[in-house]
Amino acid sequence: MASTIVQLTVNGQDAEFLAKPGTTLLMALRENLGLTAAKRGCAQGTCGTCDVIVDGRVVPSCLIPVETIVGAAVETLEGLADGNALSPLQAAFVEGFATQCGFCTPGMLMSATALLAENPAPTRGDVVRAISGNVCRCTGYEAIVDAILDGAARARAASTAAAD
Amino acid sequence: MLQRVHMPSDLGEAAGLLANDPTAALLAGGTLLMPAVNNEVTPIQSLVSTKRLGLEGIAVEGDRARIGAATRLADVGADPRLAFLHPVIEAIASPPIRNLATVGGNLFAWQPYGDLAVALLALDATVMVAGQQGQREAPVAEIVASGVAAREIVTGVEFAVPTEGSWFFTKAMRRKLNSAAIVTVAAVITVESDAVASARVALGGVGRRPLRAPSVEAALLGKPLDAATVAAAAEHAIDDAEPFSDAYASAWYRARVLPVHIRRAILGE
Repeated sequence: MASTIVQLTVNGQDAEFLAKPGTTLLMALRENLGLTAAKRGCAQGTCGTCDVIVDGRVVPSCLIPVETIVGAAVETLEGLADGNALSPLQAAFVEGFATQCGFCTPGMLMSATALLAENPAPTRGDVVRAISGNVCRCTGYEAIVDAILDGAARARAASTAAAD
Repeated sequence: MLQRVHMPSDLGEAAGLLANDPTAALLAGGTLLMPAVNNEVTPIQSLVSTKRLGLEGIAVEGDRARIGAATRLADVGADPRLAFLHPVIEAIASPPIRNLATVGGNLFAWQPYGDLAVALLALDATVMVAGQQGQREAPVAEIVASGVAAREIVTGVEFAVPTEGSWFFTKAMRRKLNSAAIVTVAAVITVESDAVASARVALGGVGRRPLRAPSVEAALLGKPLDAATVAAAAEHAIDDAEPFSDAYASAWYRARVLPVHIRRAILGE
């Protein structure tokens, strides 16, 4: 039962650590790297609170043995803010009361971030599809969908302003 | 408890690892296997990853499509050459799961999951399988019915892309997104001189594995593909089905709505 040296790029930084066989990406983030935004909910890929972005795709980190993605680029919730400046999506979640207990929020934000990377101007239907794998037991989803649409509008406005 | 994760780079090595270790399991997307590893008491002690086996990719030449077994469902769902399959992919789980789950793995999903396997059954796909003795090919009906040997690895699927207007698919779910099948219907039906010339109808959700519906197919052949023919043929479906009860629907309900969803699939109701 030999451990493996695993190298990843996590939120733009090189990370290297020893992983026991079968360590999931989720456990590596939480226990080896101290990045605890991604949560262990169901550990079967159903709830979405462990979602992170690996090589540009949003995936449930609980289903990935970390040894199988050596060299990958991983983005987590911790990488969204720029210092104390929240990302447009994060700001929209805060101002739109789109979090209650907050347990689903990291996964919601990563699914939404992946959606906006692919489609900066999503429809409400696109948003609902994008978060269809993220379970929230508090909000009833409406505030989250509104916040993602608001965050998309904020991001578009920011990129237009930057272009000017 | 896992002792080892292997990352073989050729099929012979992978088959050897599976052959020599009865506690080894093949890991592709992991969406079916890893929940068991994470949450259940399982005899699995080592995983053999498909990651470096080069089994990803989609090739379309003329009307033949070939999809590598480790191709992600999301990649099938984004390929414009396979647009007819997009509704099938969209009906399976959620985007994060489709970013991991593979075409080969879906063949082994137990019902009421495995909608792509239902579609491949209607397409009469050929499955490529590698073992220590080399490659073999098998009809997808055989693979979904009896699986592959423990030492074998599915490497890809191949099928004819259906002609315009000959492909039919519907999936009845509890919710519009991210739910298992109550009934899934996939069919390839061709019409010549106003009569059904060929029909392959496959069902999901109404048996422990994807099933063909030969009684429905026989009732369609030679007749005009109209509402009366389809309604009459759909009533035969129960003869081919083995509905079961689970958290999504009862066996009674599945049997009751099966003909309805066959009509909806084929007539676009």
